[in-house]
Amino acid sequence: MYSYIVRRIAFGAVTVVGVSIVVFFVLRVLPGDPLVAIFGPEGFTKLSPEQRASYMAQLGLSDPLVVQYLRWIGDILSGSLGHSFFRSESVAEMIARRGPLTAEIAALSVVLSWLVGIPVAIISALRPNSIGDNVSRFLSILFLAIPGFWLAMLIVLVLLFGLGYRAPLANVAFFTDPLANLQIVVGPAIVLGLGQAAYIARMARSSLLEVVREDYVRTARAKGLNNRLVIAFHALPNALLPVITLSGILLGFVLAGSIPVERAFGTPGLGYAMYTAVSERDVFVMQNLVFLYSIVFVLLNITVDLASAWLDPRIRYR
Amino acid sequence: MSVTQPDTTLPLGSIAVAQPSWLRRALRGLRTFVRRSPMSAFWACIAAAIIFMAIAAPALAPNNPVRADFRHMTKPPSELHWFGTDQIGRDTLSRVIYGSRASLTVAAGAVLLGTTLGAIWGLACGYFGGRFDIFSQRIIEFLQSFPDLILAMAIAMALGAGMGTVIVAIAVTRIPFGGRVIRAVVQSLKELSYVEAARGLGASHMRMMARHILPQCIAPYLILATTHLGVAIIIEAALGFLGVGIPPPTPTWGNMLADSLNAGLVPPWWLVLFPGVAITLTVLAFNLLGDGIRDALDPRLRGAV
Repeated sequence: MYSYIVRRIAFGAVTVVGVSIVVFFVLRVLPGDPLVAIFGPEGFTKLSPEQRASYMAQLGLSDPLVVQYLRWIGDILSGSLGHSFFRSESVAEMIARRGPLTAEIAALSVVLSWLVGIPVAIISALRPNSIGDNVSRFLSILFLAIPGFWLAMLIVLVLLFGLGYRAPLANVAFFTDPLANLQIVVGPAIVLGLGQAAYIARMARSSLLEVVREDYVRTARAKGLNNRLVIAFHALPNALLPVITLSGILLGFVLAGSIPVERAFGTPGLGYAMYTAVSERDVFVMQNLVFLYSIVFVLLNITVDLASAWLDPRIRYR
Repeated sequence: MSVTQPDTTLPLGSIAVAQPSWLRRALRGLRTFVRRSPMSAFWACIAAAIIFMAIAAPALAPNNPVRADFRHMTKPPSELHWFGTDQIGRDTLSRVIYGSRASLTVAAGAVLLGTTLGAIWGLACGYFGGRFDIFSQRIIEFLQSFPDLILAMAIAMALGAGMGTVIVAIAVTRIPFGGRVIRAVVQSLKELSYVEAARGLGASHMRMMARHILPQCIAPYLILATTHLGVAIIIEAALGFLGVGIPPPTPTWGNMLADSLNAGLVPPWWLVLFPGVAITLTVLAFNLLGDGIRDALDPRLRGAV
């Protein structure tokens, strides 16, 4: 197990370095001139050559790319992450202020997805092709097709017209005002949770259907165990293994999905900051946020791999 | 989907029919498809209707999708404008119809480009193996270390707005899938005896790949392409919603939804409802069609792609 952990983490470290190169390449090399990315093509043509040179020097963009890359890595290692081109707040401060809200949304959405997805899967798998199964399968296919941000907009509209309610827009930490904080977090968490629940229900259903055919389930039934106990204690724990893996991967995608969803709800989280960075073409903030998100994604994947190796000894020895 | 191959695998009953033409064979395949999975056939019809809507948009749309009409601004659905109008009086129905063009062009372009590049890469990796393969797998892993929406956002932002850049941005996120799946297929094919026989007869690398390996990759390739259409449509809509998609005034479902948020404190319901329904229906149709095609071409791949 230890050699597996070490190997997995070493691969993860290589991936993080590779990811940083991809991020740097995409956001700093691809646009050609970074000033084009910042000011847009029209704005760029309006700048005089002296202005261009002064901006380039001020932003440290006139150095060779390798130097710029190493300076960025240095910034990350020192923890400052650089400044937004448009705001005084440093990127690190922004992440510290807005990050917890998005993390809360992501965690809550995972809990919700399990609370919705697993019972639906059990209902489906117990009686395949019954009405309940068909309804829940259709619902999961439907929720795979509904874009989260549109569902978010609909929820905002319905609450506004039906109840005249609008979630508070100011960022409040959970420990200062739990109620206000929950009001901000619940909407995005429900939308993102339902999206994941659709995947989880699908995966858990097919996994349960496979497990139910196994010998040990038949043995448990044969010894006269109540069907509910068979499902709860013999079938479900074994069927959940692939679901745990999937859930971890989905959590990574939820971080991306929260960008448009936070925009639709007006949630003051990190996803909204990403949206602001994109619409302001703020390359420096974008670069750091994209890197942060992908590091989290890589860490999640490692955690998922380690967790499934821990839960299922067969994986370790492959 | 007529893969022209010699008729060696026909079932016994059809030998009596004198050498069916490719057209008749395609029709028979279609009939089996409808009989085996009527649901997929139904959604295939919906998908076909949406494609038709995109092609025939100028004939179907009641109004010019970009013409502002300042006498009818932000009007709810009426006899004149079935889906209402937006804040500068553009007809929502026409915009939804024209939006299908952007959506489908981007999705089809991105999936074809990304899956094809990935498939060629995967073919080379699987066939040659060795150091090239190990190196490629690392790069694919780097690409897969981004949630796809975030990578697409970064690329679209770096390249600047436009239809071409959106296609490229989404295509890049599709490359790893094509690469992985086709590589696995090729690796298992390489061990088969007919491929070894060809190698033993001294076939060149190009001939081996083109004549013996490529034909077997067509089914997984088609399955991959269709199953990723839905995802591509959702990413396109999200990019449009976040303002890095195809720029206005070209109507897309994503930027229509983004526009509705700018229409005032409270977005009018008709500006929110209709583009979203269009996205959902399209994605639903292509997802279910993809599932149907997968089951028809290769039931073993259920859940794998």
